[in-house]
Amino acid sequence: MEGSHDIDRTARADDGDGLDPREAARLLGQAEQEARRQFNLSPLWLTALMGAVILVAYGALWLSTRGQHPYNGPNLGVVALVYTAVAVAIAASVKVYRRATAGVGGPSVRQQQVEGIAILVSFVLGSPVLQGAMKHYGASNSIVYGVIPAAAPLIIVGTTVLGIAASKADWPQFGAALAVVITGVVAAFAGPSGAWLAAGIGLFIGMVGYAAADSLRHRRLSPQA
Amino acid sequence: MTADPLDPVIHAPARLRIVVTLAALPEGASLSFTRLQDVLDLTPGNLITHLRKLEDAGYLESETTGNGRASRTSIALTRHGRTALDTYTAALRDLLAGL
Repeated sequence: MEGSHDIDRTARADDGDGLDPREAARLLGQAEQEARRQFNLSPLWLTALMGAVILVAYGALWLSTRGQHPYNGPNLGVVALVYTAVAVAIAASVKVYRRATAGVGGPSVRQQQVEGIAILVSFVLGSPVLQGAMKHYGASNSIVYGVIPAAAPLIIVGTTVLGIAASKADWPQFGAALAVVITGVVAAFAGPSGAWLAAGIGLFIGMVGYAAADSLRHRRLSPQA
Repeated sequence: MTADPLDPVIHAPARLRIVVTLAALPEGASLSFTRLQDVLDLTPGNLITHLRKLEDAGYLESETTGNGRASRTSIALTRHGRTALDTYTAALRDLLAGL
């Protein structure tokens, strides 16, 4: 029974009789910040890394195809760089996801996993299938290796995320997904090389905008705001 | 200064941190006892005592699965608990506005 006496003593010592409202507000703000840090699926450093990956990958694709007449598509070195950058971004995202969801359970986590699979399937299948079909029917390189791989993933994945965000009434995510879809539409008409530039700029702006909106939303909910 | 309008179940440092931490999860999500202890840096005995008080008030629900060393306890904020935190936050805001 010694242990239970200890527990009772600790609990009494930690009751809020002398807790000032200002101190409570400070504690609440601190706890919110720490919880956000612990469970955050898109911490600032990951957003910055994604931003860098987008700028480097799409910038390299644009630079390697700029001024090509006729259009042949990005060279293999650039394609390898893009795949490496995407692999680094995916590895970092998986690490963050595992850390943030460790010990977390319930239907919402399962829903997040299903959403992740839906996004991955739309990303992996969408553009390559269209490219294959276009190549099969004799479309030019500017369509198969330019417009489609630059614009289609944005439209397909963006539409998938748009549906997910609408079902959850997550309006910052909905706005970001809509921006990505619109970027894809603009990229589709920006020419085979310009499509990479338009897609990169649009994706970067959409991602930074979402991070800012999400941060503002959390700040508004804080009692100290 | 008195803090009467503030819910005494939540208005204690450790319990406030517990409720806020669980409220950061999506509705319906639960957190394992070990992860909660890790996040809050509380001793198991201290955490159990505060969880019991919150559970008695209907703010939390816990579920233990498995047996012995393989058992896992997960804790989730109830809808009642989430509403209580919202009410507490609003009361705190009002109190601070009057200072």
